[in-house]
Amino acid sequence: MVLSPERSSPTVGVGVFYRAGFRLEPEGRTGFAHLFEHLMFQGTTNVPKPHFGNLINSAGGLLNGFTRHDYTAYFEVLPASALEMACYLEADRMQFLDLNEETLRNQVDVVKEEVRVNVLNQPYGGFSWLWLSQYAFSTYPNAHNYYGEFADLEAATVRDAREFYETWYGPGNATLVLVGDFAEDQARKLVERHLSSVPARPAPPTPALDEPLPKARQEHTRIDPLAPTPQVAVGYRTAPFGQQDHLPLALAARILQDGRSSRLQRHLVGEQQLLLHVAGGPHYPIGDSFEFGGPALFTLEATPRPGVTTAAAVAALDREVELLAAEGPSAEEVERARRRELAAYHAGNDSRLGRMTELGVMAAVHRNPQMVDELPQLFSEVSPADVTRAVREWLRPERSTVLHWQPPAAGSRQ
Amino acid sequence: MSAERGLTEVDLSAVPETGPVPPVRVTGVSRTVLANGVAVMVVPRPTVPRVEFRLSVPAGAAMGPSAAAAELLAMGIPLGTKELDQAQLAERIQDLGGSLHVSQDHDRLYLQAAALSEAEEDLYQLLADLVMAPEFPAHDLATERAKLMEGLRMARAEPHFPAGEGLGRLIYGDHPYGRPEPSETTVRRTGRQALLDLHRRSFSPWRAQITVVGDVEPRRTQARLRRAFSPWQGPRRVPGLPAVRAGGSDEIHFIARPGSVQTVVLAGSSGPSHGHPDHVALTLATAVLGGGFTSRMMSNLREDKGYTYSPHARLSNHLLDGLATASMEVRNEVTGAAYLELVYELGRLASLEVPREELETTRSYLSGARVIMLQTQAGLATALAQVRAHGLDHRYLERYSEQLAQTSAKEVMAAARRYLAPTAMTTVMVGDPDAASQLRALAPVRLVRGAGRL
Repeated sequence: MVLSPERSSPTVGVGVFYRAGFRLEPEGRTGFAHLFEHLMFQGTTNVPKPHFGNLINSAGGLLNGFTRHDYTAYFEVLPASALEMACYLEADRMQFLDLNEETLRNQVDVVKEEVRVNVLNQPYGGFSWLWLSQYAFSTYPNAHNYYGEFADLEAATVRDAREFYETWYGPGNATLVLVGDFAEDQARKLVERHLSSVPARPAPPTPALDEPLPKARQEHTRIDPLAPTPQVAVGYRTAPFGQQDHLPLALAARILQDGRSSRLQRHLVGEQQLLLHVAGGPHYPIGDSFEFGGPALFTLEATPRPGVTTAAAVAALDREVELLAAEGPSAEEVERARRRELAAYHAGNDSRLGRMTELGVMAAVHRNPQMVDELPQLFSEVSPADVTRAVREWLRPERSTVLHWQPPAAGSRQ
Repeated sequence: MSAERGLTEVDLSAVPETGPVPPVRVTGVSRTVLANGVAVMVVPRPTVPRVEFRLSVPAGAAMGPSAAAAELLAMGIPLGTKELDQAQLAERIQDLGGSLHVSQDHDRLYLQAAALSEAEEDLYQLLADLVMAPEFPAHDLATERAKLMEGLRMARAEPHFPAGEGLGRLIYGDHPYGRPEPSETTVRRTGRQALLDLHRRSFSPWRAQITVVGDVEPRRTQARLRRAFSPWQGPRRVPGLPAVRAGGSDEIHFIARPGSVQTVVLAGSSGPSHGHPDHVALTLATAVLGGGFTSRMMSNLREDKGYTYSPHARLSNHLLDGLATASMEVRNEVTGAAYLELVYELGRLASLEVPREELETTRSYLSGARVIMLQTQAGLATALAQVRAHGLDHRYLERYSEQLAQTSAKEVMAAARRYLAPTAMTTVMVGDPDAASQLRALAPVRLVRGAGRL
């Protein structure tokens, strides 16, 4: 449990983070972690289907959830007077979720529409986060389709859902985060009243996720029938949390691609006119540098100018990364990147959802919520030499996977 | 209807009670008008050591001689000044722990900037120099043109793009609110001089509004803003847009996108905007229909039928009207069935009063969402900048929940009947043409082939 009182406005954020994400869904059940997230909004035996959302909206609150690689989060932001109700509702769905055939079939349909709207009916659908990891990794937990193959979604049973719920959704695998307008002792009492009675269900250890680092660059191509122009992504294996290069790589990402002063923007979009757009970083575009508990990618995505091939775009990205590795960043570049981290830290803290998410991820995935407030200090200790070392170690072509995203060949389009 | 099952028969007495939604309070507001006409509002909000800055001028996407010029004007601002090129400008802003984004709605262009509060004075000076004399350097402008053309090519491949463009055309006709996105030809033809001219005509200090929210001391901030922005000179008047004469169509305009695996459904009508007597009632009606997790579209089309992932309705508040829309993406084989349910929900809202409890939930949801949005510096700054563009201020934000409470179910039904009824809405769909046949029993259908220009 993590408590972070902040009383400048009369609202609270309540989050429950379960250490159960895409990576541990069973084989043959791709997409199940996310499908299960949907089922958590389908009511309990005490508070049936439409009432959960109605109760929160009636109290003036907002709710949602999100599934990531190594956790799934559920949250409410509501007036302070609704704190106890939110604790009750979270405890209730931790124990009494109503898993039944009717809601399961309904939510399978809904999730399939979600995949259609975000992936199948869109140009560049799922580029690059959904696809790049499927090429860059080789073991099932890291390399499957996290949104789910339709056949797997359709094959899901109520029994699968019960088993997943009982295994991963017990209090032993949950982190509760409260932020906002409450007194600490009052919050402790509410949590005691509603959550302490939830019977313990210790979670099994998370399966081993690590994979050896790649030894040679792999190149893959996907044809997107809806895409009018190509894009390309390069995914390097990135430093894991806690490793000495982890924070320096976050700064390297800003130095490379954050804003018009960054190297890739200035050199490749501006001076050399090779790219129209570039973006990236550790875990891009999912969350920030702290999202992952297992192996992850540092991704650079680029849109070449018309007439520039994706291969030429990759060669240009390689040159810039190599230059940064060879010369290192200037002291000013590192200082600017730190200021950006500091500004992002403050902006995140200003919203209940932002603060709650930072604390929840750091607590649930890394067991270290205190680190959230140490970040400004930790970033201030990263030197230009640290960034150079991290880039040299991790952003090597031989540790990367390239995904060329191509429109259909001219003439073959419908 | 199974979507409404169970609402009355469940015992929820074990659920802890909650209190009323707290009121919105925006305290410490100070205002001033600079000698050159710039209207300044400063709100202290020291939650974190940052400052949020918004500046708006009447240079929206519907203003100016063409869509290409209006959009390139916005894209050209961050390219810097004679003294600072785009990379140098970005460096300076990042040195302040800051950021700069330029955005547009139909009516106005917004500079949205932020910085660590210790750097507030430097931020204002940088932005003032930029607002007064953007350089639009030819070389960098060529890159922005290429970005815009590429962005348009990508957008046209998305199903929502022709839907939105088509609806705008049907409702607004030749009015600039219905102006299609720029063509590649007009983008190519829009040069530096056109942007300098448009900037000179539309960046008027007399029509500019500055909003600052953050960890600031208002008096000192006002003085800093005055120092930075007083030299700004420009025209006193900026020509406005003609009144909206909203049109519409009784036919479903079905834009063919062969191979689509979903049909995009977009229905809309022109209604009132902020400050109009019907506005709050229509806001409530739109939210009952499709705002949030427990709306009727969500309950029926998603949670009961499983036809769609995120059906929703919203009211976009332009200066001259409000565009009420309902939209969803549904798999091809339920295109007709989903449209039937949408028409049912629109008709129900226009014909029957919203039950007391449902209306109360919707009021609380809207009030609470407003409280939550306004509690961050950025959220408050953006909301203030937007209502100020309509001639309103922080008191309008404060009175919102009271206005919601005072709006009756009868008024909500009247607003729905006038603006959201099936007969008031114009419907555009984008999808595989085979799906269009499912609609012919429900409404006249006009199948549009080609690029989606109606």
